[in-house]
Amino acid sequence: MRYKAGDPLPGLVKEPVARVQLVRYAGASGDFNPIHFDDEAARSRGLGGVIAHGMLSMGFLGQFVEAAFGPGATRKLEVNFRGMVKLGDVVTCRGRVTEVREAGGRSLAVCEVEAVNPEGAVVTQGVAEAWMG
Amino acid sequence: MPLDPAVLKREFPEFELRVERGKIREYALVLGLQDPVHTDPEAARAAGYPDVVAPPTFVRQFWHENPDNDPMPHLGYDPKRRLHGEQEFEYLKPLVAGMVLRGRNAIVFHEEKAGKRGGKMTFVVIETRFADEKGELVQVARRTLIETAAPPKVEG
Repeated sequence: MRYKAGDPLPGLVKEPVARVQLVRYAGASGDFNPIHFDDEAARSRGLGGVIAHGMLSMGFLGQFVEAAFGPGATRKLEVNFRGMVKLGDVVTCRGRVTEVREAGGRSLAVCEVEAVNPEGAVVTQGVAEAWMG
Repeated sequence: MPLDPAVLKREFPEFELRVERGKIREYALVLGLQDPVHTDPEAARAAGYPDVVAPPTFVRQFWHENPDNDPMPHLGYDPKRRLHGEQEFEYLKPLVAGMVLRGRNAIVFHEEKAGKRGGKMTFVVIETRFADEKGELVQVARRTLIETAAPPKVEG
């Protein structure tokens, strides 16, 4: 895929986050913090109910960058966790190329990326770098 | 609670991680990855990889594998005030099933700041370097772990 500075990346809209998905993510990742699958535990920590693992939304951003540039093209993914994803939330990933750099005879796209919840709030935001060709 | 200076100086042992097809598949399915290079060895080979390719956040699972290898449980953070603030991955070589990586964790940054409403916030960055059998770097992960400031104690 070839992009130039300023180009938007194709958006990615995920399926609503399901409890069974959070249980499976806990198993896949080894993060068994009960706030991600047990409402009682989440409420005891001042949350309205279970919330998704931050790393799940980073995983969605990883998929988004991979879909835009191809598997194996990602050079770097760097995010900060700003908000929570709740059960049933549809997470949308979006981003754009901010700069194209030449490095070692190859083109590297530097991109702003973000994952947004249904209210439009940015939950995870960061920078991705990916090789083009 | 201020960080124990001994933890900041401590060396954490190297650990081994075997990258398995089944674990890659489990990750790919829960994230909803569509590309068959993660689940189908034939598709991966057709794309030029020796085996199925690990998704970008795959190495994250090894944080929990053995607490002796990881500084996180030794920071003394209050679990109620602990936040995963930032995460970074650098990808230097493809990560595919069948690889055996050597990983090592180190604290590479530490800072304490006054909280907005009193108390103290602590920032720690843990870097994990993963190398392949030849000793070449495959991925570098950096985790920023924050302990938010405790609310100031009310006198009396």
